[in-house]
Amino acid sequence: MAERLRASRCPRCRRLVVPPASICPDHPVRMEEASLPPLGEVVSFTTLHSPPEGFRAPLHLALVELEGGARLFCHGTATEGVKIGSHVSVEAVDSVFYFSHMGFTDRARLFWRRAGARGERVAAIGKSVVKGVWNRRPRGED
Amino acid sequence: MSDVWIAGAGMTRFGRRDENLQDLMAEAALAAMNDAGIERPDALVVAAMNPEEFTGEGNYGSLIGTRLGLSYAPAMRVETATSSGVAAVYTAFAAIAAGFHRSVLVVGGEKMTHLPTPRVSEIIGRSIDPHEKSYGTTMPALAGLITRATMHRRGMTLKEISQVAVKNHANGARNPFAHFQEPVTLDAVMESRLVADPLRLYHCCPISDGGAALLLTADRRGVRIAGIGQGADTIAVRYRTDLTSFRATQAAAEAAYRMAGFGAARVEIAEIHDAFAPFELISLEDTGLVPPGKAGRATLDGETAIGGRLPVNTSGGLKARGHPLAATGISQLVELYWQLTGRADGRQVEARVGLAQSIGGLATNNWVTLLESRR
Repeated sequence: MAERLRASRCPRCRRLVVPPASICPDHPVRMEEASLPPLGEVVSFTTLHSPPEGFRAPLHLALVELEGGARLFCHGTATEGVKIGSHVSVEAVDSVFYFSHMGFTDRARLFWRRAGARGERVAAIGKSVVKGVWNRRPRGED
Repeated sequence: MSDVWIAGAGMTRFGRRDENLQDLMAEAALAAMNDAGIERPDALVVAAMNPEEFTGEGNYGSLIGTRLGLSYAPAMRVETATSSGVAAVYTAFAAIAAGFHRSVLVVGGEKMTHLPTPRVSEIIGRSIDPHEKSYGTTMPALAGLITRATMHRRGMTLKEISQVAVKNHANGARNPFAHFQEPVTLDAVMESRLVADPLRLYHCCPISDGGAALLLTADRRGVRIAGIGQGADTIAVRYRTDLTSFRATQAAAEAAYRMAGFGAARVEIAEIHDAFAPFELISLEDTGLVPPGKAGRATLDGETAIGGRLPVNTSGGLKARGHPLAATGISQLVELYWQLTGRADGRQVEARVGLAQSIGGLATNNWVTLLESRR
């Protein structure tokens, strides 16, 4: 599993941003250092077919929301199979973020490692199933 | 606060133009001054998003003042990225409303087509958050992310988005000032090449040259600026919690309606910033002109076409009229002024109140303006 990501938190509104910023975007106060687990959900993604100079086509970009609400831009090697809401892990390579789509086994491994006592696991499985059904409800064409 | 009226309006044809930026601005400004019958305005406000990089020229307030024979007039340039034109209108409006000046000439323009497209994209991309830009994000890339999120969360469909482009091209075909004056079919839009998935080429506005101008006055005329409002959002898209609407438009609309003392129900025609076709749908809902989630359906049903309940972008919008950045916001008001005074030949609609919405950057600095005719 990749390393935690450096972030910053606003002491006023508790908002988290990645990469860390000195001042909160919503309050003129100095942010505190924080770190976040490198796991999140895809908010949206696109593929650029004629990217700007210095980037190779096709350029896969995703906006990912980490646990805690901070969002960050990531590069990816592909967007095949990726959907809005897909679980991804995020890794920083030379200060550039990359997302990788987490397959079922990755998620299951992570799930068992993070779930605590047996009771919590049962509750978490319930929540996970409900969320899965909710995410799969029909919505427009996409 | 004194009322502010439009005394005259003018614009160049938008598109690929051989003239330089000074000449384009002068053509528009002289047309507005002639239309107003005002030869010596008290002041000049100029809008150009980035003439330094597009043309290599600077000090644009003074440059245009001298070019127009108005070197006596206090001149300044204002900038709010792609909505700079309306920022200039606001500056002139505020000076007249406060009683500092009786008449102010506002002119905006951009000259871009002489540069290769990647260079133009790079210069436009200066208005993106630097960290996000370092990932290769461009305006179409950010618009692609927003489009996908809006389709997913609000059920906006590719057909609805594409119909915006079809409608605006149909309108542009009736506007002799438009960059594109040919209609396009729904199939052609939906099959055009992918730019930033799911956005296709025909969902995006072109790169255009052009200028547009207004002469504002404290003296009673036919059309009044009833309200003008600005709204802001973070330059970093990752700092926003919602991709499917623009806070900057919502705040601008609220401020404009508050100043005007009336709401969306009185608006009968609108010019909307459709730099990307889905932005027209999002913006119609953000301004309250169409109920949430209904803009796509309204477009498919022809409600926003010429002859519909609320004609939107009778000029062709950014999609067909073209988008010479700092000229665009002013040209929206020129179109509304022509419509409200019965001078929109070939595309005239019946309206007393018009709304224009202009987006700066990736919706970081937006404006909403309300015009009302005395008729």
